[in-house]
Amino acid sequence: MDRIKYPLYTAVYVSFVFFIVVPVVYTLGMALFADGSLIQNLALLDHGTFLLLAKSCIIAFSIALLSTFFGAVFGFFLYKTYVPFRNFFKIALLVPLFISPYILAVAWKDFFYLIFNNTEFISSYIGVILVLVSIFTPLSMLIIGSALSNINTQLEETGFVITNFRRVVLKITLPLIKPALISSFVLVFIFSISEFSVPAFFGVKVFTTEIFTQFSAFYNHSLAILQSVILISICILLLFAERKHITGAPFLSLSVKGSGSKFYNLKNKNRLSLVFLSGWFFISVVLPFVVLLIQSFKDGTSKFIQAVELLIPTFGNSVGLAFLGALIIVFVGFVAAYPAWGSNNTRKTKSFDWLLLIVFAIPSTIFGISLIKFYNHPILDFIYSGYAIILIGYVGKFSFISAKLIGNAIRQIPNSLDEVAQIEGVTFFRRLLKILIPLIMPTLCVLHYVINNFGLVFYNKTTS
Amino acid sequence: MSIIKLNKIAHSYGAMPVLHHLTLNIEANRLTCLLGGSGSGKTTILRLIAGLEIPENGQIFIGDKAVTDGQQIIVAPHQRDIGFIFQDLALWPHFTVYKNIAFGLTERKEENIKDTVFKMLGFFGLQSEAEKYPHQLSGGQKQLVAISRSLVLKPKILLMDEPLANLDVKLKRKILEHIKNLKQNFGPTLVYVTHDHKEAFAIADQIVVLNEGKIEETGTVEQIKRSENKFVKYFLEY
Repeated sequence: MDRIKYPLYTAVYVSFVFFIVVPVVYTLGMALFADGSLIQNLALLDHGTFLLLAKSCIIAFSIALLSTFFGAVFGFFLYKTYVPFRNFFKIALLVPLFISPYILAVAWKDFFYLIFNNTEFISSYIGVILVLVSIFTPLSMLIIGSALSNINTQLEETGFVITNFRRVVLKITLPLIKPALISSFVLVFIFSISEFSVPAFFGVKVFTTEIFTQFSAFYNHSLAILQSVILISICILLLFAERKHITGAPFLSLSVKGSGSKFYNLKNKNRLSLVFLSGWFFISVVLPFVVLLIQSFKDGTSKFIQAVELLIPTFGNSVGLAFLGALIIVFVGFVAAYPAWGSNNTRKTKSFDWLLLIVFAIPSTIFGISLIKFYNHPILDFIYSGYAIILIGYVGKFSFISAKLIGNAIRQIPNSLDEVAQIEGVTFFRRLLKILIPLIMPTLCVLHYVINNFGLVFYNKTTS
Repeated sequence: MSIIKLNKIAHSYGAMPVLHHLTLNIEANRLTCLLGGSGSGKTTILRLIAGLEIPENGQIFIGDKAVTDGQQIIVAPHQRDIGFIFQDLALWPHFTVYKNIAFGLTERKEENIKDTVFKMLGFFGLQSEAEKYPHQLSGGQKQLVAISRSLVLKPKILLMDEPLANLDVKLKRKILEHIKNLKQNFGPTLVYVTHDHKEAFAIADQIVVLNEGKIEETGTVEQIKRSENKFVKYFLEY
């Protein structure tokens, strides 16, 4: 059997370890074990710390549950029914995903101030949950929607021969998309528990704000990192459980061919689903935008023009950097995932998977500070003072998602398409180039587009 | 003369054994059918011959050369001079009919690719479909494109894994005629896997009846029809 050619894989793996894993492990390790502070700080992990962690878990759980529920409902409307304007909503509802959570938090606080002259309600745990649900529901919708559109028509049609619509949805459709529901829940939970900007802006004390306080106010890096390790462990445990439970199951798979999924005609209920979708679009997209526009122009156009003038010089850099970063992330994801093609998956490739996962699970604040602490050194100034450090952070944070998406797109391609080329004597790289890459090209392009937009947000966040 | 020899091949998928020290000789320039029910190991034999699976034990010879020995693949699939037609046909969905057939020739840097491909398309009456994509073809046309793609590389052995499984009776008969004529026109040794004894009787020179990873009976169509083997008699009843 044709063996996988590993040089490219090894080069990317080693680079990832060298530029991302080593700096983070080194910085975290140094801070954690410096001067025997580990034992002292272990003693500081008191009842209050764990109570705060429990609160953060409850908030993240609520956000994940609500986002997955709404994501499933909207995913069903948009990917399984003939609801009017579904193509518009498929794109329009994704908008909050590409806006910095911080900006949306500002919009919502301003909204409450403008309407009720009081921000008490929004500056609370409920406010954090509401804002983050509006941000993460589109992510759940994407994950669940793509799983719904990949269900084989015949599986559902066979059900209709036996029972009614409601039973088919409950007993066939939902169990078939269970892996996507779990994936959505786990990912949103991790994003939510790691989220810092929204609770910080609303003045809500959660675990990530506590970590940041230890870092920036008390300079107790060792304690902050110890707390982060707890957070990272929870995320890794969840991802591990998700993996064990849904090994090889589809996850946000962007099909290479028309899936021919079953569409339902909701008839008179179409109007109701349109009302739901329009309502959500109004709350999650229109309302924050209107508020932001009102706030931007409340002192006339001068401040708006000033903001645009300030943005213009950095705009090109942001776009270029996000594009380049997205390109690198798609490349890293592809290199990490391609050994999954055929039956060549090895232990070596799994270890890369785990590295990507662990880096992904580190809260952004801790990840960013670790990189800054490591690269802020005269010898490494060429990285620290340029754009390279942002690219490194960007690649570290998003490569897991990229590898997972590409891996699942690859798994959808029948092995026989590769095997027949093997028999015809096509070399491994030619098979990659001529068969695998063209077949997963839609996934690669959409992924690049999504990460590129994420990147613009990420870039703004990291630089700010 | 045997062109393929399987010597005491054992194979399993996880904890489930599929082949039990199976020994099998396949004659050159003949059409051999591997006949058996689900789980009898017939597809596994084909994949082992192709080098797509590594056995737990035993040797496989093609001609005089050991191509697999124990858990070692000595000769890679593409160096075995074989063609393989998969049950799902495995037509590359992003290539046209022409490109599907020409791809292997291009990779092998053959000359006169266009002529060779159109000659093959002409043989199966597919010239007008050259620029179509697989999803634009009928079931029968897809079968013929898959066969053309394999034959254009002039393999010594053509392995076919239930290629007619999803066709209607009329179309099956038409394609079976094509397959029967392959030997005369292209000359490869054919190994054809099927669970349908009628299909096997229609085309085979030699039939190997398999049951749970073991050979129950080997013989010509007439010998199999007259077999006294209990399993064979039972299998042919249905």
